[in-house]
Amino acid sequence: MADLDQYVDARVSRSKFDRELDEFRSLEADYRRRGWFLLSAEFPRVEVLMAASQLTPPSLVLGVAFDYTNYDAEPPSVRLVNPFTSIPYLASELPTRLDRDVAASQQIVIQVPPGMPKPKLLQPYMQWYSPDEVPFLCLAGVREYHRHPAHSGDAWELHRTSGAGRLVRILEVIDRYGIEPIRAYSVQVQLVPQITGFQAEPPP
Amino acid sequence: MAEKITITIVVNGQPTHVVGDTEAPVGSLIPKALEQTGNQGQPPDNWELRNAEGQPVEVGRPVRDFAGQTLFLNLRAGIGG
Repeated sequence: MADLDQYVDARVSRSKFDRELDEFRSLEADYRRRGWFLLSAEFPRVEVLMAASQLTPPSLVLGVAFDYTNYDAEPPSVRLVNPFTSIPYLASELPTRLDRDVAASQQIVIQVPPGMPKPKLLQPYMQWYSPDEVPFLCLAGVREYHRHPAHSGDAWELHRTSGAGRLVRILEVIDRYGIEPIRAYSVQVQLVPQITGFQAEPPP
Repeated sequence: MAEKITITIVVNGQPTHVVGDTEAPVGSLIPKALEQTGNQGQPPDNWELRNAEGQPVEVGRPVRDFAGQTLFLNLRAGIGG
């Protein structure tokens, strides 16, 4: 996954990487209760598995692969990966798009006829151009976001000191928009019941 | 004078201990937690306080309601895309 050579003094990046891990491990029991499992960590990579513990039975939803090469002169790379293979999901394979209900969060009023449910205006944090490419997390603090030409006006340096690239912060965002909204299994009953996805309620 | 207690607040993964008045709103601890952890790049409104279960905390509730708890303060996601 690393697409950068380590040009920052490796001792600096490794020290900051170790701090992320030490802090995570100091609260590992709390994170585990929320369904976050530290699978592996070897500089510069960390992989965390995220489960929907609110389901019965619980579901292992996805893995998150971080690459802290050159941290924190550069933000970390973040990919959603298959939790069983660590292979990044293609857009067509994503178990969640990390949808945000923009209408609710920005109090956009959408007029609908009486009795009709209000439509949601969803904006996914996962972005892609074609279904057969690896999508990126469109979030300040993520390497792929800051490298995207559309975000050249929102440099990493503007976010670096706010902790935007920190491990737990990025996991919180993925949890909030990808795991926490899951309410139930989405089941399609045919001759044989099949789990086809999740029923989620995107937060504002 | 109001009694003071210490609450552990985890800021973007970094724990810090913040002292506050028991009757003050728990949201009043946010600027202190940010200052103590050196997270001063974003205003307090851009941060979100949650409990150990990941549920949002009403910042107007008094600090005493959270005695003995660990709270989690994380930078909001903002608008992506």
